[in-house]
Amino acid sequence: MKALVLLSRGLHPVSGKPCLPRADAQAARLAASLNRDAGGLHAGPSCETVCEALGRGLTQLTHLRLDGDPVPALVASLRDLKPDVVLAGPRGQGGEDTGLVPYVIAHALGWPLIPHAVELEAVDGGLRVTQALPKGARRFVTAPLPVLVTAHSGAPSPLPFAYGRARAGRIHEREAFSPPAAPDGFETRPYRPRPRVLAANVGAHARGRVLINPDPHDAAREILAYLRELGVFGQRSPT
Amino acid sequence: MNRLRRDPRAERLAAETLGAAARRRLDWSQKGTGAAPAAAMDAAGPGTRIVEAPAFLVFAVVDAPRDHLTAQDRQTLAAAHVLVGNGGAVVMVRAAENAAESGADRTLPLEVDPDPDALADQLTDLIAHFQPRHVLWPESEVGGDLARRVAVRLGEPLFCGAEQISVNSVRRPAQGRRIERRAKPPRFITLADGAIASYAGPRCEARLIEAPPRKAHVRAHLSVEDAHAHPAATPLAEADFVVAAGNGVSDFDAFRRLVSALGATPGASRMACDAGLMPRSAQVGASGTVLAAHCYFALGIAGAPQHLQGVANCENVVAVNTDLHAAMIARAALAVVGDAQAVMPALLALLEAEA
Repeated sequence: MKALVLLSRGLHPVSGKPCLPRADAQAARLAASLNRDAGGLHAGPSCETVCEALGRGLTQLTHLRLDGDPVPALVASLRDLKPDVVLAGPRGQGGEDTGLVPYVIAHALGWPLIPHAVELEAVDGGLRVTQALPKGARRFVTAPLPVLVTAHSGAPSPLPFAYGRARAGRIHEREAFSPPAAPDGFETRPYRPRPRVLAANVGAHARGRVLINPDPHDAAREILAYLRELGVFGQRSPT
Repeated sequence: MNRLRRDPRAERLAAETLGAAARRRLDWSQKGTGAAPAAAMDAAGPGTRIVEAPAFLVFAVVDAPRDHLTAQDRQTLAAAHVLVGNGGAVVMVRAAENAAESGADRTLPLEVDPDPDALADQLTDLIAHFQPRHVLWPESEVGGDLARRVAVRLGEPLFCGAEQISVNSVRRPAQGRRIERRAKPPRFITLADGAIASYAGPRCEARLIEAPPRKAHVRAHLSVEDAHAHPAATPLAEADFVVAAGNGVSDFDAFRRLVSALGATPGASRMACDAGLMPRSAQVGASGTVLAAHCYFALGIAGAPQHLQGVANCENVVAVNTDLHAAMIARAALAVVGDAQAVMPALLALLEAEA
């Protein structure tokens, strides 16, 4: 099964220095769990930063040298390389950070996209993805190949950096052309933090019902009735 | 301490005006009628917001797990009210409880489908049919995914993770919160958590509207099966239902049996962890884990401020404690003043009798 990871150049959330985003390194680990010879794909002016992925589970990297919108070049390159599984982080880190690129690519190629993957397993003619759902629930999704998968933050943490493997990794340079990104008409300003609104209903029914020194069995009955009413107990199901 | 602060000015304004958006008018005629909007007094009861013929629609697509609106869902409905102003109507897409109180003028049910592509197809059809002026999603795992699928299908830009929204502008951070992007509200917006307070205006009618018949779509053959994860193995920060023990619990075998019988994730106070009775990973509070649970059941926990910080996001708290004046009793929606050691066996006996 040919696995390929879309790598992006990120900025470190604290220092602001260029780095490989953690989510991309997690995606590289997931790809390495499928195939020992997994590759990476990066579109951008330089691949200096994303080469770190070679020390974190990938063996080769294809670099599309371009300036501008990377999506058309990535789509053309994926049609050319014909991988079975393409992995990506959920969103960039330090750029526009919209998380739209995997969706645009999957739509352009007509592939299914499975988000929030925490574990991958090759099955007969497909890929079995363990998907993280809200509230700690998990489910298994089996998709036909080829498929695009994005990693969840709860996926296994990145492989430790191996210097020797990073040196031994092969880099294929390719020239690509992309049209410049279309202007989005947004106004840009320095970021100004705003206070977050906390969940407003918290404390709204503070001082609810108080039972003072009830019989323990009455108290137990009341508590179970309340838990059933909330639906947390007795009918557990994800989503 | 947890009670919401009174706002006397807002109370006076509410007493002197009719409806949320009405201007304050002094009642010179002293007839007590004021300038009542026709909508305010209707069959649905006084103080109900009724939009009979909306000039335009704003969709708020909510996640509503198990038909229950999350905090982010309610914020999305509030943001839809900001964009609606006086002329339009807020359509809550997907059915859920408490729709009217949370600010839904209309409810548009979606068919349940585990395949997100099928849901996106449904929603794309609904958007093509009703032509809403704006569509809002919460920037959550489910909502953010659906929003991106729909935006890509329709080939329209998506404004992701708006942290501030008003009639004239939306803003979102970019480049790792170094800059922010600002624009007039586009058609498709997803809303970051905590961008806006939940809807607090008058009750809406949540009138059900009929969806057009569904077109058949070709879809990818995904097979989906649920993983029955053991609740005890769920990370505490993600758990939905947490039962926690504190200093008032001494029989930890009974506590563990109760937790597994209830199908909950175990938690503990700092006291129980310091004593070595529960693992440190189970500690709830400022120095342990901050929960996002739907329900928190505290046994023998008095509620130190650091512990209450850990349960600040929990919507429903049940507490058993011997002290009537404990902070946890004041925080709880259902409080039992009594010995947790006596309530635990009673609960276990009741659960066994039912099984």
